[in-house]
Amino acid sequence: MPLIRRGAPEAPANVKDDRDSFALLTGGTDGERWGAARAAATLPGGVEALGAALRSETDARVRTAILTSLTRVATPASVDAVLPCLRADDADTRTGALDALRAMPRAVLPRLPDLLSDADTDVRILSCEIARCLAPAEATSLLCDLLDRETDANVCAAAIDVLAEIGQAGAEPALRRCAKRFPQQPFIGFAVKVALQRVSVQADDAG
Amino acid sequence: MPADVPPVTGEEFRVLCEFLYRRTGMVFTEAKRYYVQRRVTERLQATGFTSYAHYFARLRADSGDEIEQLINAFTVNETYFYREEHQLRCLTSDLLRERIRTKPRGRPIRIWSVPCSTGEEPYSIAIWLLENWPEVDAYDIDIVGSDIDTQVLDAARAGVFGKRALMHLPPRLVNQYLEPLDGEQWRIVEDLRQSVSFSTVNLVEMAETRAHGRFDVIFCRNVLIYFDDASRRLAAENLYENLEPGGFICLGHAESMSRISPLFDVCRYADAIVYQRPMEGARG
Amino acid sequence: MAEDQKKRVLLVEDAGLVRMYYREALQGAGFDVDEALNGIEALEKLLTAPVDLLIVDVNMPQMDGLTFIRTLRRQTPAIASIPVLITSTESSPQDIHAARIAGANFYLTKPVGQEQLVLHARILSGCVA
Repeated sequence: MPLIRRGAPEAPANVKDDRDSFALLTGGTDGERWGAARAAATLPGGVEALGAALRSETDARVRTAILTSLTRVATPASVDAVLPCLRADDADTRTGALDALRAMPRAVLPRLPDLLSDADTDVRILSCEIARCLAPAEATSLLCDLLDRETDANVCAAAIDVLAEIGQAGAEPALRRCAKRFPQQPFIGFAVKVALQRVSVQADDAG
Repeated sequence: MPADVPPVTGEEFRVLCEFLYRRTGMVFTEAKRYYVQRRVTERLQATGFTSYAHYFARLRADSGDEIEQLINAFTVNETYFYREEHQLRCLTSDLLRERIRTKPRGRPIRIWSVPCSTGEEPYSIAIWLLENWPEVDAYDIDIVGSDIDTQVLDAARAGVFGKRALMHLPPRLVNQYLEPLDGEQWRIVEDLRQSVSFSTVNLVEMAETRAHGRFDVIFCRNVLIYFDDASRRLAAENLYENLEPGGFICLGHAESMSRISPLFDVCRYADAIVYQRPMEGARG
Repeated sequence: MAEDQKKRVLLVEDAGLVRMYYREALQGAGFDVDEALNGIEALEKLLTAPVDLLIVDVNMPQMDGLTFIRTLRRQTPAIASIPVLITSTESSPQDIHAARIAGANFYLTKPVGQEQLVLHARILSGCVA
């Protein structure tokens, strides 16, 4: 078997010098921006540079790399750098931001109460989705508070979906009250019915 | 089933199914309820929980390696020669043909098996290519097996296997590529052992993955499914860099890129679904 | 409908309860229903077995609905030509416009009732029943 051989020579991965990283982050080719975005997570001032690059980046894969670097840092500052993307017009940017925020649950938790009270309905819906990554007790408490004040059926539906997956039995009263407030929405009635069955089999503590 | 663990209720079954579906993409229908119940009950017994509710809470808290243990209970996580043969068929019938179409002459074909565990997969790839790829003599082929665990790598380098590992390898190939040590064990012949190289790698460590260079095809089975969201993102980007533009990555049969990363294009071939790093300048 | 004449629908939607609600309505109306959590899983399923209609959400993890439709429309004709019904919470004219540009055939704003869903599914899948 002479034709399978060990350790063929290989080209090294195309990695740019860190000194150029911040300049390349917004000014390079797709490949250079990708490399710079990946390098920035470990550089001083990286979060600010990544946040700025995120605002102007148009390539979906480079944007994913920027978001991943921000999730590696996972601080309140990196969460704040991602949050404006939740309000983006294009669905791809919103989806990318949501996935990134869900990958840093500890850092995003302090921002969630404000997000769940945002004036923008779409932001509240997406914020319910962020709660999916939280511990069941935290998610249950935040989403039940939301259900009791929320007037938009779609926001309630998003919260109920998350509660049906991870909510605890303590969510039952808020779910029942919500169903009563939307008698004209058959989907809310359906969703609450299923969610009540689901939360009944969840433990009330994280034991 | 022990008396202290009650049968799983319909709702408990659906909660668990939704959890596994969302996280892994694995689908269990009502017809599989008994099978699922047996596996979950085994995990309850192993962890000392007496209620599903508290077990689910532990799963969601992602503490320890319980998610890995549970997924293991649903996937036969045993490694043996010619496992998932359909992917090997896909490799020679489609993936390599596609790769050599755009590859400059003289450049080696590089294939990465990661994690390679005790070596069954990289040796299977080598044997499969020698047996099934007509172009095997026309190219330099570099097969690398990598794992985070140095103990399994020592075993892989030694290349000694028992009957169970060889059960799907036709006897003719066992005779050709392995030599008997005693009645119970066989060793990969020297030439074949020399043709596969082994290395340590942690898939979330960028410097370690980059040191391995770029590959035409990566077999990355049954590891990403266990990572949390943050690690999946990092590992997927590392693997993306480890692929030549146009190169392919194959996941395990219970895994789907839909739960891992948006970076790759989905490709359907006759024998398998695989994922491709787009060619440079391609749309997407 | 006889089994072999059943129209096949793929629900591409990340909310589990919405998938259940839609599935209940569509199965009750004689459709054969499968599900995907996001655009990538939907592509995996379509490349294995095409369907007669896609019902697609917009905001989903890993691959959103509009990126999915743009990718779908670049596939081979058998898959690229599958009609798409979007159901989304986003209700502004620019959202609907963006969906049309991406290649959606029709757009319903959530919450969508079961009768409304079945009616549109019948029309878009070419169901005469």
